[in-house]
Amino acid sequence: MENLIGIFLNSVFVGNILLAYFLGMCSFVAISKNMETSVGLGFAVVFVLSITAPMNWLIYYFLLSPGALAWAGLPGVDLSYLKFITFIAVIAAMVQAVEMVIDRFSPALYNALGVFLPLITVNCAILGTSLFMVERDYSFMESLVFGIGSGTGWLLAIVSMAAIRIKLRYANVPEGLQGFGITMIMTGLMAMGFMLFSGITL
Amino acid sequence: MSSTIKSIAFAFVTALVCSVLLTAASSGLKSFQRENVEVDQKKNILKAVGLIQDNKVYSKEAVKKMYADSIQAVRVSSNGAILKQGEAVDTALPVYIYVKNDQIESYIIPINSRGLWGRIKGYIALENDGSTIAGFTVYKHSETPGLGGEIEKRWFQKNFKGKKILDRQGNFVSISIAKGELSPSFPKEKKPNYVDGISGATLTGKYLTAGLKRTLQDYEPVSIKFRTKQFLQWHSGK
Amino acid sequence: MKLTASKHMKAFSTPLVQNNPISRQMLGICSALAVTVQLKTAIVMGLSMTFVVAFSNLIISFMRHMIPRNIRMIVELSVIASLVIVADELLRAFLYDISKQLSVFVGLIITNCIVMGRAETYALGNPPGLSFLDGLGNGAGYGSVLVCVAFIRELLGAGKILGYQVVPAGVYGLGYENMGFMQLAPAAFIIIGLLVWLQHALSKTK
Repeated sequence: MENLIGIFLNSVFVGNILLAYFLGMCSFVAISKNMETSVGLGFAVVFVLSITAPMNWLIYYFLLSPGALAWAGLPGVDLSYLKFITFIAVIAAMVQAVEMVIDRFSPALYNALGVFLPLITVNCAILGTSLFMVERDYSFMESLVFGIGSGTGWLLAIVSMAAIRIKLRYANVPEGLQGFGITMIMTGLMAMGFMLFSGITL
Repeated sequence: MSSTIKSIAFAFVTALVCSVLLTAASSGLKSFQRENVEVDQKKNILKAVGLIQDNKVYSKEAVKKMYADSIQAVRVSSNGAILKQGEAVDTALPVYIYVKNDQIESYIIPINSRGLWGRIKGYIALENDGSTIAGFTVYKHSETPGLGGEIEKRWFQKNFKGKKILDRQGNFVSISIAKGELSPSFPKEKKPNYVDGISGATLTGKYLTAGLKRTLQDYEPVSIKFRTKQFLQWHSGK
Repeated sequence: MKLTASKHMKAFSTPLVQNNPISRQMLGICSALAVTVQLKTAIVMGLSMTFVVAFSNLIISFMRHMIPRNIRMIVELSVIASLVIVADELLRAFLYDISKQLSVFVGLIITNCIVMGRAETYALGNPPGLSFLDGLGNGAGYGSVLVCVAFIRELLGAGKILGYQVVPAGVYGLGYENMGFMQLAPAAFIIIGLLVWLQHALSKTK
C-alpha cells in the first residue's frame, strides 16, 4: 500500500510527467491561457490516463510481451514491437469515447475545448505514461495508480500555469518573450519549484 | 454504402501492409538486437570487477573475448553448492566467477532491487574473502535523472569498492546507503558498512539498501563458503 | 526550371528558420527536451525525427488522393507509428547504447505534433517531392533547436561536447565548477525560452 501511495505522490510531484519529463507540452502551452478550459482539459486527461494505463497494461501483458500468448498456446511469440501502434490505437478509441461522453453531458465544455479534445490522442503524456509503465515493469495496481497520478500531476501543472498567466497580464513582458518564450521560462521555474518535493520522505 | 466499404477495405490493406513491414523489420533485426543485449550484459559483469573502464570504448569482439577468458557463469543451490551443467534445482541462483590463473578472484552477484520508479538492475562483486566488496555497477534503472539517477554514475559506484558486508564482530549486515554524505561524526566502526548517499534521493537509497540486503542474504551460503576458504581453486569442467 | 528549383529550396529552407517548428509554430517540444542532456542523444533524436517526418510526408503525399476522408487520421497515425517502430528497431540493432538512453522518447515521436501537423497541413495537399523536402526541413529545424539546447546543456553542465572533455582541467583547478543545474529538467525550459527570444530579436533586426 505504501508503495502505491509512493508511486502516486511521486508521479504528481517530483516525477511530474510534464515538469520533469516534458510530456504534454503542446496543449499545455496553448490551453493554459484560460482557467476554465485548463481545468476541463486537465480533468479529461486524468480520466483518459486512468483508463488507458491499466487497459494498455492488460493488452501488453496478455497479448504483446514475450511469452504473453502462452494462454493461447503460443509461448514463443514476442509481439512487443507492436506496442507503439497498439497503445496509440487504444488511446485514440478511448479519447473518441470521452469526446462522446462530454458532448452528451456538457456541450458547453465540449465547445470550449474545441479541437483540443481530439488532440488528447496525440498528447505525449498519454502515450508516455503507457510506455513508462512498460519500461518500469509496473504491476496492474501500480499502473492504475501511476495513470491517475500522472494525470493529476498534469492537471496540477496546467492549472498552476493558467493561474500564473492571469497574473502575467499585468506584467511588462519584453516583446520577443511574449507568448511562447515567457511560458517556457515560467515552466522552467515551476519545474524547479516542484523539484523541492524530492525532500519528502514517507 | 460503397464509401464505407472502400474505407474498410483501405483500412484493411493499410493494416496488412504495416504488419508485414513491421514483422519483417523486427525479425530481420532480431539477431543484431539479441547480440547487443548479450554483449551489454557481459560488459556490465566485466565492469563490476573493474576489467572494463568507463571512458574507454570496447569492440563487441573484445568484450566477448574478455568475458570468455575471465568469467564463468555458474548456478548455485540454496546451500551454496555449485550445480553441474544439467542439474535442475528450483532454487538455483546465478553467480559469475572471475577466474584468473585458475584462482577465483571474486564472484559477481546480479542485483534486481526495487527502486523509487521501477526496478534497479546491476551487479555487485565480492572478493574471494566473502566479505569485501570488489565493485558495484548499475545498468538499468528508472530513477529521476540528477537525483536517484546518480546511482549509475561512477562517483556513486566507486565508493562501494573496499566496503564490507560484515561488521566488526563478523555478523552479516550488508552494505547500506547513508542519507546524503557520511558526516565526519559518523561512528568509525560502522563506516565500512556504509557508502555516501545522494542528496535529494533518500528514497532511492533506502530501496536500494533493502534490495541489496535481500539479495546478499540469499547468497550468504555462497559467501560463507568463500569465508571458510572452501572456494579458492577453479577446476575447469566442474 | 529556375522557378521549380527555388520552390524546392523554399520547401526545405522555410521550416529551418522562418517557420521553425519549435520556435515559430510552437510544436513538438514534447519529446525534445528530455534528450537534450547530451549532444549525442540530441543528434540521434533529431535524425530519427527527420527520418520519420520526411518519409511519413512522402508516403502520405503519395496516398493523398486515395485516403478516404473519414479514416484519414487513423491512416496517418498508422503510417507514422509504423515508421517510428522501424526507426526504433534499427536503433536497437545498430546504436544500442544510445537507444537505451533515448528509452521511451523515440516512441513518443508518434505523438509529436510536428509529424502529424505536417502530414495534415502539407502532405495532404502537395506532391510527394515537395512533401519530402518539407519533412526534411521540419526535421532539420527541429533537430537544430535540439542540438543548440543540448550543446549548451552539455558544455555548461558537464564541461563536455559529444562526451569529450572540452573544459580544460586547469580551469577546474581555478575553482570553476560544472553547472549541475544544466543537467536538470528546468534548465531546458529556460534555455528554450531564451533561444526563442534570441531568434525573435535577430529576425527583427534583419
